[in-house]
Amino acid sequence: MTAGAPPLVQLTGITKAFPGIIAAANVDLDVEPGEIHALLGENGAGKSTLMNILTGIYRPDAGDIRIDDCRRQFASPADAMAAGIGMVHQHFKLVRSFTVAENIHLGWERTPGLIRARDLALRTRELADRFGLAVRPDARIDELSTGEQQRVEILRVLVRRARVLIMDEPTAVLTPGEAQELFNTLRSFVAQGNAVILISHKLDEVLKIADRISVLRGGRKIATERARDCSASMLARMMVGHELPLGLTRLRRAAAAPMTAAPVLELRDVVVSDALGLTRLERISLQLHGGEILGIAGVAGNGQKELSQVMTGTRHVSSGEILLGGSDFSRRSAREFADFGVGHIPEDRLHSGLAPALSVADNALLREYRRAPVSRRGWYRPRRALALARVMASAAAVRVEDFAMPIGNLSGGNQQRLVARREMRIASRVLVAAYPARGLDVGAIDTMLRYLVELRDAGIGVILFSEELEELLNLADRIAVLCRGAITGVFDPRTASLEEIGMAMAGQRGPRG
Amino acid sequence: MAYRIQRLPTPPRAIALTARALAVGLALITAGVALAWKGASPWSLAHEVITDTFGSAFALEDLALLVSPLILTGLSVWVGLRVGAWNIGAEGQFNSGALAAAGVGLFVPGPTAVVLPLMLIAAIGGGVLWMAGPALARAYVGVSELITTLLLNFVAALLVYWLATGPWLDPGGRAIGTTARIPAEMPAVWGGVHWGLPLAVLLTLGAGTLLNYTRWGYEIRVCGANSDAARYAGMPVRRHLMTVMLLSGGLAGIAGMFEVAGTVHHLQGGISNNFGYLGIMVAVLARRSTLGVLAGAVFMALLLNSGTILSTRGVDVSIVLAVTGLVLLYTAIGDEVAHYRLVPTRELPCP
Amino acid sequence: MNVATGLLHTALLAGGVPALAALGEVMSERVGVINLGVEGLMALGAITAVVTVVDGANPYVGFLAAFALGLVVGMGFALITVQIRANQVLCGLALTLMGTGLAAAIGKPYAGTPLPAVFPPVVIPYLSRIPMLGEAVFSQNILVYVIYLVLPLGLHLLLFHTRHGLNLRAVGDNPAAADAAGIAVQRIRFCYVAVGAGFAAAAGAYLTLCFVPSWSDGVVAGRGWIAVALVIFAGFRPINAVLGALLFGATTALGFLGQARNWPIAPALLSMLPYLATLALLIVPAAASPRVRRLLAAPAALGLPYYRDER
Repeated sequence: MTAGAPPLVQLTGITKAFPGIIAAANVDLDVEPGEIHALLGENGAGKSTLMNILTGIYRPDAGDIRIDDCRRQFASPADAMAAGIGMVHQHFKLVRSFTVAENIHLGWERTPGLIRARDLALRTRELADRFGLAVRPDARIDELSTGEQQRVEILRVLVRRARVLIMDEPTAVLTPGEAQELFNTLRSFVAQGNAVILISHKLDEVLKIADRISVLRGGRKIATERARDCSASMLARMMVGHELPLGLTRLRRAAAAPMTAAPVLELRDVVVSDALGLTRLERISLQLHGGEILGIAGVAGNGQKELSQVMTGTRHVSSGEILLGGSDFSRRSAREFADFGVGHIPEDRLHSGLAPALSVADNALLREYRRAPVSRRGWYRPRRALALARVMASAAAVRVEDFAMPIGNLSGGNQQRLVARREMRIASRVLVAAYPARGLDVGAIDTMLRYLVELRDAGIGVILFSEELEELLNLADRIAVLCRGAITGVFDPRTASLEEIGMAMAGQRGPRG
Repeated sequence: MAYRIQRLPTPPRAIALTARALAVGLALITAGVALAWKGASPWSLAHEVITDTFGSAFALEDLALLVSPLILTGLSVWVGLRVGAWNIGAEGQFNSGALAAAGVGLFVPGPTAVVLPLMLIAAIGGGVLWMAGPALARAYVGVSELITTLLLNFVAALLVYWLATGPWLDPGGRAIGTTARIPAEMPAVWGGVHWGLPLAVLLTLGAGTLLNYTRWGYEIRVCGANSDAARYAGMPVRRHLMTVMLLSGGLAGIAGMFEVAGTVHHLQGGISNNFGYLGIMVAVLARRSTLGVLAGAVFMALLLNSGTILSTRGVDVSIVLAVTGLVLLYTAIGDEVAHYRLVPTRELPCP
Repeated sequence: MNVATGLLHTALLAGGVPALAALGEVMSERVGVINLGVEGLMALGAITAVVTVVDGANPYVGFLAAFALGLVVGMGFALITVQIRANQVLCGLALTLMGTGLAAAIGKPYAGTPLPAVFPPVVIPYLSRIPMLGEAVFSQNILVYVIYLVLPLGLHLLLFHTRHGLNLRAVGDNPAAADAAGIAVQRIRFCYVAVGAGFAAAAGAYLTLCFVPSWSDGVVAGRGWIAVALVIFAGFRPINAVLGALLFGATTALGFLGQARNWPIAPALLSMLPYLATLALLIVPAAASPRVRRLLAAPAALGLPYYRDER
């Protein structure tokens, strides 16, 4: 850190409210040149909102922004960019149908007026070399891995001479090896007198890389400390505001059902190709036993979506077999999977698991509307549906004033709890949970993971897709790693090392079984 | 105290309905102002419209005869919207239903009690057939039904025109461009109003019951709200899409049959009289309720009727279309504006 | 002129109507706004041109008056759909209803009156001597050259080979990304929606000034909708749109030929050809391979209003 220089960024008293939520309340933050400043907080603490204000996407309801000690007002992202603020968002702001070169040159005044693809590609390669980021200029964004896409995002921001680089949850989409490369890039960036703001909810990562850490909770800033003065438990307490609940372990209760001998769900040499002919899953073979939790690790975009779809019958395999309870279910419909007892907590509940415009009651009944007492001989009884929805909501500890209102009005956490409860009710043999804790606060995550343990103890087989290796190591009986559509290793969490798993995530084939 | 504007994901029902009512009112006022600007007096015109519409039993019968086709075309579009499909082709399906019914009515001999049901079946078949192409294209190849159904409107209109002025032209030769009178007539329920009206109302109530109180209806609603969620739950989305779209076509076809067999008794060019397009307006006004379809149909009938009355006073009947468009525009604006609310910026308590 | 040349000549002339409107709609949809009011705009443009020219002006003034009207109406439409963010489909349908109704009401006294002035053919010296093609292609009026050559090439260059074109395509594909890149999303949308509407009205003027030199109720006959369909068929590319319009024009010309030659098919049935052909044009590319479909795909944010401040 450069002593004596004024802070590069100074936020004072920033406040922002959305319908029903105060996203930021009176937040002060300053960032010095030459430092990596981490913004730590659980999901929903207000980190992204604060940064969206700094980059001109949101306007603050109150408060000041000072850049280089000059008061600024950002009416649009263009203003923030002109002031040297650049952000790499969690959900990349890239045009998926454009090439890498086109995305780099988008909205940039240094782009020539008349453009030819070849020239753009050349310029992109030069810029990539200058900043030390490997990208393929002619590839379409939707053909790139998430790690590559992130590099494009970073390059896009760097070429516009950003002096403050904001990274929003960057390592969520990276293997441990790629994360290390990223940190090296960030270190060399700040060494030139620039600054990095790193948004994260991962304690150990933040302790490793940051110079100073600011903790947000419920839209307020709790404290700013130097990283070397902090410990993980201290940060955790600040993040959550009270003592963390006991971590979950793999220990079973005495009365828990033992693992079944025969697998309840089995995949044999499953291959899935998409409409464009690309192979999404390559000869996957897996076995899931009742009473175990099988974790699937791997960066998103490596076939997890296709795998969860195939396991729940919402997509057919191109070749290979799926067996449930020993019977071949490869050609059966999603309804038959559900009737067998396969529940599915989907990755993006708003797109697949819920109909946001329909009422809470209608959504709650999505799995059970064909069963009595709701349905009898073709008739659907709204009053019985409502009663059942009430039962589900109270079991999920979700307060709903009006069951007729669109479910899209509920908070994300409440929606997820309802979906989870709904699926658990029908998951009598298998539950496929895809990133069930994503976007939830710590309390809700805890509840969600407890649900999974409950099911496991009842003899149900649980498949847990997760980006948080911590979570999988704590919870799963076995961890399979998915990389580029193939299983690169199956590990025993009691004995496997983070390094081994990290290498499998990067594509190195490890042990099976 | 300072205020700022905030957008809600879903507006509260009361606000949404108020916005609707305001929109319709403002549209009518705008139309009145435009008429005044052109020299006609909106007040005296309004007075004339009200007395002429509600003045006599005959006038009310005229109104009722407009309501029944609008209920059915409105229901046709409304049903399509429930599964997420825009049936802009109700006009063409109306025509194809009308011509199928007229074909049976003109060329199939027999007592009315036998011919009428046959005409109904033919009309449903005509409407379904006209929707079949666009429905298949949407369900299997993903082509938007909005334009495919619309293009067929023009084809159907041309077909009716050709039949009425060509092969099916009235051999008695009295009028050009129309067929002979169709012997089978729909019985009257009151004065000149035929059974089409109560049947249309029954169909509407039936559709509402089907959607809200049956398993099939629940699945349709889910398909229309989010087809991915429907697929996730194992519902046969494609089959439901096809079924409902074809149903929509059939309903518009029935509207055509009622018009031919109950009101006009001939097949002639222009028999569809924009009912199909106005049905879109009815469905939009109705939002999610079937009672709304009935109310919307009455409103559009009043509008249409006013246009006819005004045309005798020198105002061109095309103004009705323009006013309908105006109402639609204001409704669309009102629906969006209803999402916003004023929120005071308040001081937050210190931590 | 022999039959084939005559057919081509008429096809070019007839296709010009949906071609011009389709070019405007391509721009509007490329920035993400679907304008279903093209039919109404065409009607308004058609009657404007008629009214202007009948009162003694020359056809250029009539054409420009229609374009200006379309521009103004387009700005209103843009204000409602882009700034206020009302539902684009409903607003477009409303515009069609209003435009068609108003134009019919205004046009009543002008029905059937032949126009005193029309666009004269501009014969290009050497090219028009080419056997077969020359007379058909190179002795058309000036608007045909503009619609089939100048505009499609110019728009293609703009869209795919300029920085501005890159930016505007991003607005239609991912307005959030364009916004984050500093592009003025709302302003670009407003401008191109207005210009697209101007083109649609101008297409109506072309209809009454070059093709059917008079006004009658229903003269537009769905050509606005054909234009919207052509944009989809063309994969949102200007040159393809104009080629599709030519195909449409060819079916119209075929219908005319049939009537003139007293073919056994009734004129009403021949008139169905263009609509059925357009229907086929819509379905055929959708059934093509996924790779082709990806190339012809609609801008990803088409029809969706952009809210910057939305969570």
